[in-house]
Amino acid sequence: MAFCIAVIGKDNAPLYLTTADMEQELDLQYHVHAALDVVEEKCLIGKGAPESKELYLGLLYSTENHKIYGFVTNTRVKFIVVIDSSNVALRENEVRAIFRNLHLLYTDAICNPFYIPGESLTSKNFDRAVQKLMSGNA
Amino acid sequence: MQIKPIITYSGSGPLFRSLESQILNAIPLDTCEWRRTFQRPTKHVRLEAQTQQFNVSALEKYKTGDWSILEHPILHIFVTECNDVDTYKATIREEIDTWLKLLTSYGISDWMILLVETLDMRKTKNFMPRTTVLDKIRLDFSTKNDDRCISVLNPAKFEQKSTESFRCLVQRIRFLMLTSYNRNIVKYEELIRSKREKRNLDGWDFRQYFFMQEDLALIFEKLELPTEALIQYDELDAMFSQFITHTGLNDKQQWLNHFRRPLDAFHGICLTRPDRFEMRNKIRDESVSLLEFRNYLFERQAYLLLSCNDIPEIAKRLLNFLFSTLREVEFIKLECQEGALCCWEFVCALEVLQLCEQAMEPNEVTCFQHCAPIWNLAKDKLYELGKLCGLLPGSTPTSEQLHIVVQLSSGIGDAPPEQRQFLQATPQLRERSPNRKPKKSAAEQLKEALGSNQAFQKLYLELAELAISTYKHVARLRSARLVGLDLGNFYCALNEPHKAVGFFTDLLRELKAENWHMLSSQTLLELANCYRKMGDSLAYTKTCSSISCCAELETLVRTFYFDEFLKSLKTLRTTLSAQPSMENANFCVLEDHFRVLDIEVVNQKPIIQDDYILVQLKVESLYPRGIVAENIKLCYELQAAPLELAMENVSLTSAPSAVKVKESKSRLNVSLQLVYKQDNRLHSAAVSCDMPKSKQPVRRTSSTKRKLSPSVQADFTNFVQAENIALQPGVNLVDLKAKATRVGSWQFKQLCVSMSSLEFLSEQLPFTPPSFEISTKPASATLEFKTLIAGIVQPITLNVSGGSFIFPPDAKITLRCSKNLRIRQALSIDDEAAYNNDASFESLLQVPLLHFKSFEERKIPLEVLTDMPGRKVSKHHEHHIALTCPWSRTELPISVEFQPGMEATCRLHTCGTQKFLQVIMKGLDADLLLQHAQVKCDVPGVQLLDLNPEPHQPIEIYKSLTVTYLYEIQVEPLKTEHELPVVKVHFVIKYAPLSQPDVWRTYGCAFDLVDYTTLFKLQAQLEPNELCRLRTVCNLNLKITKIHENPYTDLMYEVLNDQNLWAVCGRSAGVVSMKDVDSHSISLDVMPLSTGFLPMPSIRLSKYTAGGKSKTDAHSKVHPFPPGQVYNSTKSMQIHVIASVAGDQ
Repeated sequence: MAFCIAVIGKDNAPLYLTTADMEQELDLQYHVHAALDVVEEKCLIGKGAPESKELYLGLLYSTENHKIYGFVTNTRVKFIVVIDSSNVALRENEVRAIFRNLHLLYTDAICNPFYIPGESLTSKNFDRAVQKLMSGNA
Repeated sequence: MQIKPIITYSGSGPLFRSLESQILNAIPLDTCEWRRTFQRPTKHVRLEAQTQQFNVSALEKYKTGDWSILEHPILHIFVTECNDVDTYKATIREEIDTWLKLLTSYGISDWMILLVETLDMRKTKNFMPRTTVLDKIRLDFSTKNDDRCISVLNPAKFEQKSTESFRCLVQRIRFLMLTSYNRNIVKYEELIRSKREKRNLDGWDFRQYFFMQEDLALIFEKLELPTEALIQYDELDAMFSQFITHTGLNDKQQWLNHFRRPLDAFHGICLTRPDRFEMRNKIRDESVSLLEFRNYLFERQAYLLLSCNDIPEIAKRLLNFLFSTLREVEFIKLECQEGALCCWEFVCALEVLQLCEQAMEPNEVTCFQHCAPIWNLAKDKLYELGKLCGLLPGSTPTSEQLHIVVQLSSGIGDAPPEQRQFLQATPQLRERSPNRKPKKSAAEQLKEALGSNQAFQKLYLELAELAISTYKHVARLRSARLVGLDLGNFYCALNEPHKAVGFFTDLLRELKAENWHMLSSQTLLELANCYRKMGDSLAYTKTCSSISCCAELETLVRTFYFDEFLKSLKTLRTTLSAQPSMENANFCVLEDHFRVLDIEVVNQKPIIQDDYILVQLKVESLYPRGIVAENIKLCYELQAAPLELAMENVSLTSAPSAVKVKESKSRLNVSLQLVYKQDNRLHSAAVSCDMPKSKQPVRRTSSTKRKLSPSVQADFTNFVQAENIALQPGVNLVDLKAKATRVGSWQFKQLCVSMSSLEFLSEQLPFTPPSFEISTKPASATLEFKTLIAGIVQPITLNVSGGSFIFPPDAKITLRCSKNLRIRQALSIDDEAAYNNDASFESLLQVPLLHFKSFEERKIPLEVLTDMPGRKVSKHHEHHIALTCPWSRTELPISVEFQPGMEATCRLHTCGTQKFLQVIMKGLDADLLLQHAQVKCDVPGVQLLDLNPEPHQPIEIYKSLTVTYLYEIQVEPLKTEHELPVVKVHFVIKYAPLSQPDVWRTYGCAFDLVDYTTLFKLQAQLEPNELCRLRTVCNLNLKITKIHENPYTDLMYEVLNDQNLWAVCGRSAGVVSMKDVDSHSISLDVMPLSTGFLPMPSIRLSKYTAGGKSKTDAHSKVHPFPPGQVYNSTKSMQIHVIASVAGDQ
């Protein structure tokens, strides 16, 4: 369902990144990194407006093969999901659902008292759940 | 294609035709307010129109619901010039009636009856007809809407007068047209809806539907509603996409086959087409390919957006258009030549970019935001094509690839001839620079690029640079760097690595700044490649080193580069290229290779100047294998002095009289601040958190941005270091040391690891580095004592303060005492024998300082003993102790003062000729026991008789107690004073301190006895001696008797009386000569002034030397006698004075 799911810290360092296809990983990482440009742009626009509760940023940009969606938490942690653009059956609502679930998983993961905010997420549970989410079985 | 609303006419055709051109020309001259249905905003519309003869067949479609709003007549006009009521009634009325009925039967209510008045009624006949034809018509046909009947003066005949009525007519026509549109659009929309509902039925054709809805769009466009027209196209767009992607290929949608033509032509969109509807006709007439249809749709959308001046939206829509079209091509499995779609995408992209370029304001970011990815896409597509056609650097196209180029070039098609009207239609567009040559069309550019490697390279580089600069312009730096990566790779392929380096470095900086390790290590690999090609061995070495430390890379890669690093490092020493091309080129970021885990100062605090600072550095090496660092230095700098608390300005009072600051040692420097006014009242109280701006209290290490190369080398004048240290992968402990040279509070600043000519400098230590203190303090030795008493053992303390001096293990202090002072180390009083042994006191004492450490303070108890001074001296007894300390070469003299434990004085007493010696022992500060008092006199003929009782027990003496010993001096008569002017007498007594009653020490005191012979005897007698009355003059008889022969002849006597007790009448003093006489009597008158027992007035006898004649010796001199030479036998006699007789009182 999704090609790549990334959690990016507030200082734009990747906290977690997983890809469905190892061969594409590098390319996807570059894409995710570049997507931060758009995230910043959107967050900047959002700043002027009264505090909106909308964390979902929508489509950040698309390439021939990928659509890259973004989500930013209140603590400026960004979630980036790359999906296959040929999958026309995937609706925006489903992308939103992925983000919602991811947010829950992330919240659970960082509730771990041994997790230091800002460090990369190494929780196996989190990884398992995200893999599931990525394959669309969540 | 002409789109003009149609107006039909009936009735008098020739008449209308005569007016036709005038009407049609007049309609677009002015706008008309359009009140739209459903609360849509009113709009001022400029209309156009065309006319037709009324034709029933056109209405047939309308009735069946197969009509197009584009072709449907919008207004039907019946024209007549009948102005005779009778004629009207006879024929015209009938005609109109049939016409209207016909219209009504088709459900049309958009009609108008026009009465043209050719004859001027008012001129020909001078009366007004009762009813006009117009009234009649109105009465007959338009009871409700009389505005549909209108008369106009024939402008052909009444040029002047007709203007007003003609204007009314045109206005009315406009109004009715719009009213008609209101009605018809609603109706048409309903028709479209119902048509759409049937889309899944057999035989439904998208193309029919497309034209139907497009007609509406065209009408909207005509009515100057481009946004609503756009909605129609967007709906069509979405519907088409949905058909293809969702419905897929089933039998129902037979119409889809029309779009399945193979893509042998793949023209891109063209936004400057001269005939915009060229494709529309093509779609209608023959099948078009999917691409062509899509192109047309996008062109139409773009045109409408352009009319709204919304060029950014065009750019925004482009990518989605391209990608969704690609998907559609894929879905319906269209066959096409390889690269064809790339060409199409490229041309489309460039076409839009060219439009944007002309329209964009540089400050308008939104358009650039959309353009940047398009530039990037164009660049990517060109690259794909270049790859396909063998145009990439380093390859030459094969014949097959040349064939592909030819095929593609033909498929790209030619750009339509230049047509500028399209662009000039929008006022917003502007010419950038007039002398810039007109841009080639996108298709031409592509063809040219495919033509040769050079052209391809040129275009690719141009596009890439444009993509980068556009991304940078909209502040999408990451994306710009990503394009830079592609460009860098391209330069590498071009064998121009020096150009690529910049792009890779930029990317690397960006990635490292945000800790994207995996990507940054990839970039490092690219960089290493570049540097190797460039032969920049220094940079290559640095990069290899960095790569070998990338944990993200595979071990194999890492070890390979590690070996490369070591190899290259060796060559660095020899090759000339090791000379850094620029300053600090040999600096590397330490954090990339090592991780500083801990820095600990091993020394005990504080560090003493000139001692070695020992630092343990815990550092993690990220190299895959062990490595030897030639030098590891950790520099330290003076810690900035803590900020002085700013004195707060207190208004009213001149200055805060007191600022009380309570420092606390918590992590945050929170302090209480109380400010007092001058009168000591509290002015304000505050809790302040003093935070130097440079240092954040809380810093997250992950937030620190990492740099590519350290910019600053800290001040390495003070550092601890270690040399030739082997660092194993993982955690290493390194001991660093240096001599502490400068005093102060220091903090570690930067770590530097040197290997060959490379210097790895830390950017920022990951934690607050420990600080340490280097200090120095002079050693000192002092003696501490209270009042010291001579003669007994006195405690004294030697205080040795080590300071920063480092003591040798056998250090000692030598104390040398002045004469008569002896010293020893304090002994315990428990060991009585040793304690009491005075022999243990020495005049030179060495005090060992065993294991004396720096800054130690040690008190060493000592005891001193000095002899009791034999004679009372005015000053305290002074002694010196000279200290010789290990830290000093010179002796340190310390003066020590002693007070005597007791003192002895002697007095000579006379009783007639008998002489007595009284020795008075006065107790001072010490408590002592006394015994065995003795006097010795070695002078022959002088004997001292001990008159003291034999003591059984020692006498205790203490402060303010005196003990007296009495001796009689017997001098043999022959031994006169002339022979023995001085008799030396030694008084010796044994004493013991009360605390040591067994230790008897001897106290000796020598007295010199002089003038011990009585020369004169003085006697005084008062007469009457029995009864003395107050204020009665008595006679005082003095008798001076010479006892021993002596040279003093002239004596002076003085009566020294108390002025309150006695009054001397007459002279109180006189001189007598004892020459040749043995005695002398003097009588004086005295009078008692007080009653009671009064002492006899005392008499003083002095030697008198009369003044000589000479000037120098003019004055008489009086010398008193020493006490032993004059014996006053009546001294201290008392006289009883009684009160005088009553009469006197």
